[in-house]
Amino acid sequence: MKKRILLTVALVLSVALLVGCATEADSVLDKINQAGTVVVGTSADYPPYEYIDDAGAMTGFDIELMTEIVKRMGVELQWEDMPFDSLVAAVNSGKLDMSISCFNYDEERDLTVDFSEAYYTTEDAFVVSSAFTGSIVVPEDAANYKVGVQSGTVQDGWLTDNLVTPGLLSEANLSRYERVDQAALDLASGRIDVLMGDYVPVQALVAQNPDLLVVFHGELSTGPINIVLPEGDTALKAEVDRIIKELQAEGFIDQLAVKYFSE
Amino acid sequence: MDLGQLLSYIASGTVYTVGVTLIALPSGLLIGTLLALLYVYGGKSAARLMNLYSTVFRGIPPLVLLFILFFAVTKGINLSAFWAGSLSLGIVSSAYQMEIVRGALLSVSGDQLMAARSIGLSRLEAIRYVVLPQAVRLAIPPWSNEAAIIIKDSSLVYALGVPEILRRAQLIGASSQRYLLAYMSAAVIYFLLVFVTTRLLALFEKKLTIPSNP
Repeated sequence: MKKRILLTVALVLSVALLVGCATEADSVLDKINQAGTVVVGTSADYPPYEYIDDAGAMTGFDIELMTEIVKRMGVELQWEDMPFDSLVAAVNSGKLDMSISCFNYDEERDLTVDFSEAYYTTEDAFVVSSAFTGSIVVPEDAANYKVGVQSGTVQDGWLTDNLVTPGLLSEANLSRYERVDQAALDLASGRIDVLMGDYVPVQALVAQNPDLLVVFHGELSTGPINIVLPEGDTALKAEVDRIIKELQAEGFIDQLAVKYFSE
Repeated sequence: MDLGQLLSYIASGTVYTVGVTLIALPSGLLIGTLLALLYVYGGKSAARLMNLYSTVFRGIPPLVLLFILFFAVTKGINLSAFWAGSLSLGIVSSAYQMEIVRGALLSVSGDQLMAARSIGLSRLEAIRYVVLPQAVRLAIPPWSNEAAIIIKDSSLVYALGVPEILRRAQLIGASSQRYLLAYMSAAVIYFLLVFVTTRLLALFEKKLTIPSNP
């Protein structure tokens, strides 16, 4: 009797789980248009792409760009802020409709989510403190020092693939941080020697911390930045891509770049 | 950004912290009490099942469980980060609260149950009217401990995107570069929340104490 009850409960639960997994055929774009709202994720700890201004509101290059895109989609925007490495999982599991957070295209991310057309281009940079006595001429020189990076970023991937895996840099000398400003703090205090990050955000960090300086910048792991979209949703991607191209043609994106990236 | 703006930004996360706690604690209490009653009075196989529940949910770090419950289990269900985080925390707490209530129930002397049955109360009535009220008093000190833990653990939902105190401190720290100030402010708010709660529970406990003979 008890065994039968347990079996029935197990059966009902597994059916419920399977049903939950099966209903993913509709396009997210239809869902967005029906609800009249699109849920966009970001990690607002990354000036000047996304951050909190003095009044406590979210602002930044990505934020303003997405606000304009959603305006042209004709729906309301609902922002969700969360730690950077939760964003891709959130888009993949349907918690977010899309995400903008200075994402570079990455093959590993492509397995679970899709990317829009590129809306801008970034570079990588290596940052050191004024107390640094070594020399970084080519990127691989960083392997001789203690390196810090934000976890889940393409720089993290680049360091792992190009320095750690071939054995040039040991895992013990690579520190991963949840946010890039944590890494900058450790850089200033001397816990790490080199920080690898996106060029524009680290310039913002350097501007606020005169102890730090950029010693190298170029396109290594980075390049074009894209909006992260749900896997396999061609309708939403087509719509977002269309608007991005529109904005690029109008010069809107260039204007934003001047506003946020100039000194 | 001046001090006032920074403080008010972080403090505005308090409503989320309190919200998460007010969902997690009572739901944990409800589930925990039901499971504890099953554990103590439900027979051998029920006890074994409850023991398994307790071992599993107390054996995994709450943050790991939050991620599993938020990203995996609610894949089809459309729950907001706030509700998913709060209910997940409630489930984690229910395992600990079950142990608290179970301890309190077992501390009430078995004679009480026997005496209640002997004057004609059914098993259910005996538990409800004789054992449970006495168990409540015994459960308050460890429960006050659990309440303090849940208020602090509510900060874990930052990882799911709930704009509570800790996440706000992180964001404002990153934008203003005034980290120490931001995190100290968060610490003070959490401390005040826990302090007020434990004081109130101590008052409640005092009210329920049976005055003993001098």
